Amino acid sequence: MQHNKRFSMEQKKARWGWIFVAPSLLFFLVFSFYPIFNAIYMSFFKKNLLSLKPPEFVGWGNYVYLSHSKTFWQSVSNTAIFTIGTFIPLVAFSLMLAAFIVSRRRFQKFFQMALYSPAALSSVVAALIWLLIFDPRGLANQTLNTLMQTSGVNYHWLSSSSMLRLSTIVVYFWKYVGYFTVVFVAGIGGIPDYLHEAALIDGADSWKDFWHITFPLLKPTTLLVSVMVMIQCLKTFSTQYLFSTSGAPTRPIDVITLNIYNTAIKDHNIGRASAMSVLLFLVMLILTWLQLRIAKTEDVTYN
Amino acid sequence: MRRFSRWFTVGLVMSLCLIVFLSLGVSAANTIELTYWTHTDDNRTEIEDRYIAEFTKLYPNVKIKRVVNEGSKMGDLVLTAFSAQNAPDIFNLPIEQQYAYVQHYRVAPVDYKAAGYKDANDLRAQYLDGTFDAVTMDGEIYGLPLELTNWCIYVNKKIFRDAGLDPEKDYPKTWEEIADVSDKIVIREGDIIVRRGFDFRYPYYLVSVLPMIEQLGGKLLSDDGKKAIVNDQAWLKVLEYMRDWGPHGRNLGSPTYTAPRKIWNKDNNDMAMCVSGFYQQGRLRLDNPEFYDSKEWMVIPFPVFKGAVNDVACSYYGHYMMVNAQTSLEKQEMAWKFIAYMLDHPMEYLEKVNIIQPRRDLLESKDFKALPYMDVFMGDMERAHIVFLHENGYQFERFIKEAVESVMLSGVQPQEALDTLRERIQEVLDSEL
Repeated sequence: MQHNKRFSMEQKKARWGWIFVAPSLLFFLVFSFYPIFNAIYMSFFKKNLLSLKPPEFVGWGNYVYLSHSKTFWQSVSNTAIFTIGTFIPLVAFSLMLAAFIVSRRRFQKFFQMALYSPAALSSVVAALIWLLIFDPRGLANQTLNTLMQTSGVNYHWLSSSSMLRLSTIVVYFWKYVGYFTVVFVAGIGGIPDYLHEAALIDGADSWKDFWHITFPLLKPTTLLVSVMVMIQCLKTFSTQYLFSTSGAPTRPIDVITLNIYNTAIKDHNIGRASAMSVLLFLVMLILTWLQLRIAKTEDVTYN
Repeated sequence: MRRFSRWFTVGLVMSLCLIVFLSLGVSAANTIELTYWTHTDDNRTEIEDRYIAEFTKLYPNVKIKRVVNEGSKMGDLVLTAFSAQNAPDIFNLPIEQQYAYVQHYRVAPVDYKAAGYKDANDLRAQYLDGTFDAVTMDGEIYGLPLELTNWCIYVNKKIFRDAGLDPEKDYPKTWEEIADVSDKIVIREGDIIVRRGFDFRYPYYLVSVLPMIEQLGGKLLSDDGKKAIVNDQAWLKVLEYMRDWGPHGRNLGSPTYTAPRKIWNKDNNDMAMCVSGFYQQGRLRLDNPEFYDSKEWMVIPFPVFKGAVNDVACSYYGHYMMVNAQTSLEKQEMAWKFIAYMLDHPMEYLEKVNIIQPRRDLLESKDFKALPYMDVFMGDMERAHIVFLHENGYQFERFIKEAVESVMLSGVQPQEALDTLRERIQEVLDSEL
């Protein structure tokens, strides 16, 4: 009785809630929050990864260096090109493919599985497959030559700057379009049928139904997908790493994450790499907040 | 009485447990466990597993855990392990990577007595001159060589004849001839090359491209190490050569095609010449024994430019066995004993793994001299020096890669690429990290 007096039902629920959440909270503390705070701390120091000497405090030195580093701004530009080049087609095509799949009466599961399968591959394996395709003697040149009715033209998939950027976008698009299509399919499935039926009774065709019912009500899913796509694009690494270590010029695809890796692991400069990580983190945080804020002002509900 | 017997039984059981626990503790305290990280090589794994079994038989209190990692990932793994203070007791890496470990005192000096030598001079006397230059600091030696490798050029004679060339007479001696001979051998379908005469080992600019610059009198750093890029003309000539080699020049090869040494063994009429080490012969014997036995291949020296001011061959590099300086002294001593035991089989390493340990007894043996084209490799070794070593060597190599590939593939002018390269290297030199 005493026990029951001390804790109300709500408090009991809250206590159990904390118990259930504790393992994942602990996991995040150790594997996410600690590295984030450690990176922020390290970004104010000059530290060689191999040196036994204590880190030297440099204040904002690493950030000041990055503000006028050509390589860093080249990385920012490469990341922006990749993100914009991938974000728009990935979100648009995922939505279109989801709408197409939902409109099919048969083979819905087959289409979803076929599209999703590249997402199950490791990024390294995917990049290796595409390296073979983009080889000058590979499938990409053969296909384009057939389509363009040319013979023996090398489209320089892995050597010309613009084609190389396009190649990394193609790989990423291929790998993730299925994953986000499945997310959109689930989102479309969550829209109540009676809304479509009401629209049908009011004389709406399938095009109008999509634009006036499905698309507005898919907003939470679209928001989720766009935030996920944007974060994924900003964090892109494996494809660029594998391409640059397999003969492709690094400069056009030297995205921030690749620059961070090279600065920390190859150049042993963990302080500067941490500063870049912190800046990337802040950019992701701000862009996500912006997306959420814009989305909040345009909420749509049908009663 | 019953209570007494119960207490007696409990006391007896506890005493026995204590004895067992203590004895286990004592034996654990006497056991030395060594962790040895190395890269994948099935042939080496076979013989080294046997050496470990033999060594642990000699020293029953020693346990050795041999961990094999993929070669391309070894550098990253060892580096992160060292930075997390959780490094293996023994490891090997290419000397270009290991150099920084020596500079930062992360590896222990050789325990000469444990390794079976009187002192440093005695150790040096057993090996080829200069073997330890790369791993000597403040008079101490920090590693024992697992292998020392230099590259020459492997030639497929059949492809030469197919292109109307006599391999014995027409093989290229200069870089200009390499390009001209490649031009005769190359087959293209439109712009796409389907048979190459020769192509470079692109990621390894310090080993194979820097010597080309040195042949023309250029250097990466000034002698005092403070100034980047010595002799612009030499650098520009090599950058122009590489631009002409690439798809926007004579279109003889490119880094985006499959690495030459990977396809040369197949003898598929798609690669006439590749640059590789003596170990290529072992791989050829395994991959394509018919071609290996056919006598349709040969090895030629590393070319020089016409009018070169220095006769420099491809740089040689090594893998050294090193011991973690942060491990206990007892472990360090046992680690050096084990390393010395393994490396005391140079002939077996040569026969089974095709790697050369620069020990005098091996190099002077008849069996060694009788190996195919060993005279070519040793001749080139004499006119070569060890690969460029610097704490930031890998960073510089990445900058050179970007410079070369920007002129070959992205249409950047050699002068612009050189200026960028100089600026980037100079910035590293000035930052004194």
